Amino acid sequence: MFSLLKASFCGVASRTIGSAGLFQDHLKVLSAGLKTYRLPPDYSDVMLPERQKLKFMNKVPDLKKVRKEMKNLRDIQGPARNGTAFTTGQYAIVALGGGYLHWGHLEMMRLTINRRMDPSTTFAHWCISAPYKPITRRGLGKRMGGGKGAIDQYVTPVRYGRLILEVGGRCELGEVESFMSEVAKKLPFPAKVVSRESLAAMQQEEAEREKNNQNPWTFKRVVTSNMLGIRKVLSAFDLHNHGRFSGKFHNPGRV
Amino acid sequence: MLITHRDFLFKMAATLCGTLLLRQGWLPVTHCVRHGSKAVTRHRKPMHFLKQKLLAVTEYIPPKPPVSKHRVLQAKQNPEDSGLVVLLRREVRTVFQECKMIAVVHNSATNSEDMLLLRHRLYKHGIAVRFFPNQVMRAFLVDSQYSNLAPLIIGPTVLIVSKEPKVKEMLQALKAVPQMLLIGACIENTLLSVQGVFDYSKLPSLATVQGEVVGGLSLQTSQISSNLQHHPTHLTMLLQQYLTQKGEQGAPGGSEQKAEEMTSV
Repeated sequence: MFSLLKASFCGVASRTIGSAGLFQDHLKVLSAGLKTYRLPPDYSDVMLPERQKLKFMNKVPDLKKVRKEMKNLRDIQGPARNGTAFTTGQYAIVALGGGYLHWGHLEMMRLTINRRMDPSTTFAHWCISAPYKPITRRGLGKRMGGGKGAIDQYVTPVRYGRLILEVGGRCELGEVESFMSEVAKKLPFPAKVVSRESLAAMQQEEAEREKNNQNPWTFKRVVTSNMLGIRKVLSAFDLHNHGRFSGKFHNPGRV
Repeated sequence: MLITHRDFLFKMAATLCGTLLLRQGWLPVTHCVRHGSKAVTRHRKPMHFLKQKLLAVTEYIPPKPPVSKHRVLQAKQNPEDSGLVVLLRREVRTVFQECKMIAVVHNSATNSEDMLLLRHRLYKHGIAVRFFPNQVMRAFLVDSQYSNLAPLIIGPTVLIVSKEPKVKEMLQALKAVPQMLLIGACIENTLLSVQGVFDYSKLPSLATVQGEVVGGLSLQTSQISSNLQHHPTHLTMLLQQYLTQKGEQGAPGGSEQKAEEMTSV
């Protein structure tokens, strides 16, 4: 129904534009009351996948041998190494800090987005894998000792700049932004909704800031030349990230 | 057996040394500091103070936005009109109005003693050393007729001013102070380079030049007047001489020629 209405609207819009062009060539038209509509976006190349909704993710990975892991906190520190670019979608939720997503977060996202989106025009898919990192906990009321605790849950580590999920199809940002931002608010790290353009603009702005920095004393320069023995108080993490991150946190505005 | 015995001896020695050294207050060179894994990721780790400083120093500084011409003009028209600036500007104006000699001198770190001596030497001839802020000077010069003097006002500059153009005295005083370097001067509303100032100093004084000019002019006029005065007598003498010569020759066409000469003269 909605699509039909939309199609009719598009048709009307295109006809008015064409007719306006014709009229303008030959005779003067009273322009009061006539409105030139914006051309609707071209969705001819958009292909909806077979399954539009977010897939269910396993709470526990299917492993033959369950192993307890160490808290490898490096996996949420610094910028993401992969999964920072769009694949098929148009809009995405991007992480602006590091953190662990557990199954509950994924279910919340899946249920909200699947409920609110229109599967006839839009699709959504995950950009992260199902929880795979085991987190161990000691049971409540247990005494200390007795070795490492049992596996409590599995989580998905997410770094800064990682896309969590993508939404695409024959839809505009205004249609999907409401529920995506609603979901992004509830994540365990700062996150926001981006489109392809805004993400590219974000990345470009960051690159330009680095290029146009008027401060001759950059973190990189000071650290690489070890001025005043500053390396003594810095870690290898700072050597790579140049003060843009402190642990899992992103320091915005730094180059 | 032997090896074990030696081992035992070594151990003995080590323990002895250890005990002896410990009694003397020996401390181990290397400390074992345990850096346990920091499991708390909920908050930011406290940062080292030096790192905080480094982050503060290396902050992003955006490039300056291109300033529009309108704003530049506005900024030029509304400088900070503090009382001191107004006073200095007024003083500069009076200096330029009253003084005939204004020399711009570069002051390369003259100490106060030398400056005092120089001032004293110049003061004998009625020459003053004035210090003005460059901004005030430039602000005054840009609008005034002395605008060509503005490029000289760069760095530590000093003005040497006097109401009379006493260039020779000034140059003599400056010769003793090599730290003060003459850049240029405006003498009697004429902008002069250093060489120009030297040439000016070599000129005789105004009175003698004027006397020479007057003398030359009076010589000319006297010559003309004398010429004018003795011209008719000279002419009559010449004519008489001519007539006498003609009379001696007795030529008939001589009178006509004489008449023609008369008309031409």
